[in-house]
Amino acid sequence: MSEDADRASEDTQQVDGGAVIDGDHDGPAIEQARSLLGHDLGLLVITSLILLVFPFLLVDGLGILGEILGRRIGGYEGLAALVLTYGIVVIGFNILLEYTGLLSFGHAAFFGAAAYAAGIISAGTEVDFIVWGVSLFVLDLPAVTSPLLMVVFGTLVATLLAWPIGFLSIRRSGIYFAVLTLTFGQMLYFWALSPGAALTNGDNGFSDVHVGELFGTIRLGADVPVLELVGINDWEYLFVAFFAVLAIGTAHRIVNSPYGLIFKALGENERRVSFVGLNVFRYKLMAFVISAAFAGVGGSLFVMQEQYIHPTTGLYWITSGDFVIMTVLGGTGSLVGPMFGALVFEYINNVVSGISLPVIGPIRSLWRLVLGAVFVFVVWFFPRGIHGGLVDLGRALRSFAAFVVWAVRDPAAFRELLLDTVVAYRAAAADRIEAALSRIGIGGDRR
Amino acid sequence: MALVETVASVVLNGLQQGAIFALLGIGMTIIFGTMDFLNLAHGALYLIGAYAGMVVLRSTELRGGLLSGSGITVVGLEYGFLMALVLVPLVGFVVGVVMERFVADPFYDRPHTDQLLVTFGIALIIQEVVKGIMGDTTYQSVTVRRILGVDVSGPVSLPVVGSFPQWRLYIILIALVVIGLTYVIIERTDFGLVVRAGTQDAEMVRLLGIKITRSYLVVFGLGAALAALAGLIGASIQTISPQIGIERALIPAFLVIVVGGAGSVVGAIVGGMVLGFTIAAMTIHASQWAQIVMYAVAAVVLLSKPQGLFGSVEVEE
Repeated sequence: MSEDADRASEDTQQVDGGAVIDGDHDGPAIEQARSLLGHDLGLLVITSLILLVFPFLLVDGLGILGEILGRRIGGYEGLAALVLTYGIVVIGFNILLEYTGLLSFGHAAFFGAAAYAAGIISAGTEVDFIVWGVSLFVLDLPAVTSPLLMVVFGTLVATLLAWPIGFLSIRRSGIYFAVLTLTFGQMLYFWALSPGAALTNGDNGFSDVHVGELFGTIRLGADVPVLELVGINDWEYLFVAFFAVLAIGTAHRIVNSPYGLIFKALGENERRVSFVGLNVFRYKLMAFVISAAFAGVGGSLFVMQEQYIHPTTGLYWITSGDFVIMTVLGGTGSLVGPMFGALVFEYINNVVSGISLPVIGPIRSLWRLVLGAVFVFVVWFFPRGIHGGLVDLGRALRSFAAFVVWAVRDPAAFRELLLDTVVAYRAAAADRIEAALSRIGIGGDRR
Repeated sequence: MALVETVASVVLNGLQQGAIFALLGIGMTIIFGTMDFLNLAHGALYLIGAYAGMVVLRSTELRGGLLSGSGITVVGLEYGFLMALVLVPLVGFVVGVVMERFVADPFYDRPHTDQLLVTFGIALIIQEVVKGIMGDTTYQSVTVRRILGVDVSGPVSLPVVGSFPQWRLYIILIALVVIGLTYVIIERTDFGLVVRAGTQDAEMVRLLGIKITRSYLVVFGLGAALAALAGLIGASIQTISPQIGIERALIPAFLVIVVGGAGSVVGAIVGGMVLGFTIAAMTIHASQWAQIVMYAVAAVVLLSKPQGLFGSVEVEE
């Protein structure tokens, strides 16, 4: 589209994104920064509180509701952590899709690569590099089992992988970008399946995952002292929730920074961004790499929970498709929207699949049918996703309530409005009838 | 294996694989080119074709699924292959027409991303419905033994290659004939002229007083019929399971139109052959790298020639 402009702007002077806002408000900049920081802190506190009660709502809240309905619709303990894990991935995915308008069908590559990297580094096995039957060298990896380091390493690998893939894919836009990311992801999948089996254990999946103690003292599976009361049973959930809060905070910070504003501008009009002298390519690449880093965090956390990763769950393009589904289900219009998508997706996957319905019987493997139906429904009728739909509904209800209040307070004006509406409607209807008549040649003037 | 034999074997296998790819690609490309509609449910049409082919061609004992659950354990008509050659594309055509009316039509004016998303959902639904009805199992491929009393199974001795499954030659023949027919329809008939004009500028065609919506229906049905036919052919050489629509049909079809150039029938044929030959060539020496190299070829073409080898239009967001 605007590749020529891209190339041209590469040569021109790099303008820092920060200049865009700073020019407008120089005086109260510190004040503004302080209020932003306060806003950030508020967000983090609220998110933390919600995540603290989330397992309780999911497991016990829905469980009680389920007992009333006579169906098992409550979640289980591990589900909350799984939802947050995928939530982290799709928050990052959303930064790319919503703000720069790039639809990637290859994010499983980063999710899976991070999962494998975190798993492999925790195993600490000898890795024999064999190319076409010839052993090149043997790498003796030390076992790194610290959960934090595993996440850091997995994220690092995902980020480093995203750089070349992004560098090539960003050159194309729209559907071609989707296909390019898809091809790179699939190449990695097929590599992990068989040529790379020495490293990934191929089709058998990698299960040699050893998660050690957090800070050398806390075992992730151990009980949490007090929080048991709110349904949090192990440290693993807290560990994942910590990263979820971190992810939301980071994403919020990115999106509301001058840098993030340029992402937003890219989604709205790429050409104009390049006209003001910004390097479009560089910003798109950064958005891509950032979203891949989120996927990397999610992948690392995933392998620690499941203790197992297979090319199909980690790298296959269906997993990329799942990320797309979660993001779009939840709604791309907001930061936390995709989290709702991850919740609905995993809920259907793990809980709805266990429900038995009167006529159809147990849903079990048909969960994807339910998911597909929900997905088509949302895309069709709520282009802004579940979160957007809820926001719209809330707004509609609010304005309706305001209208009712206004009508009650001022009945005369309400009656007048009603009359006006009826008169206008009748005039419009008469116009339309006349137009229809003149089209079939009866009466009226021909225009 | 001597070089000549290797080449001959690559040519035959490449033709066979490429022909199936081309059938899929043509279907997708005429739908995309004419209506500017990206159909991710194209693989699901292949899936429908494969299962329809299985049902028409032989009696299959069902394992699992709604049908066997309600007492019907064996389905199949045991009609001949010629009957399947008529019936299966017909099924595809009908499904395609229904899809055009109820899924594609409301989405023509919405962005490509929305089209991708909704058809991806439809693909999932079709796959799950098939799984629910026919069971989540892998069925063996359907062996076609006779056509009009002529034995078509078993190996045949070819000059250079040596022994080669006879049926695969028939597949190549059938696919090439159908591809040729489609080419003639699109490139040489008045109907094709409207379709091609629609590819260039649908608005203009409409302004000229041609009912393009009717052509849309036919084109969508035709593309779906081709995908179903590819499914029938695929069912005669490969196993049949609910996943094949997405795994064996959707991604190749996508790569084919991207490599060949969106909207071009010739491009789809060439793209299909390029990918088919790549797979066939790689399978001989390093089969585990075959898929990887196929994707790499697609990526290289995309990066060096974004409009595809024969593309006239570049897809915009």
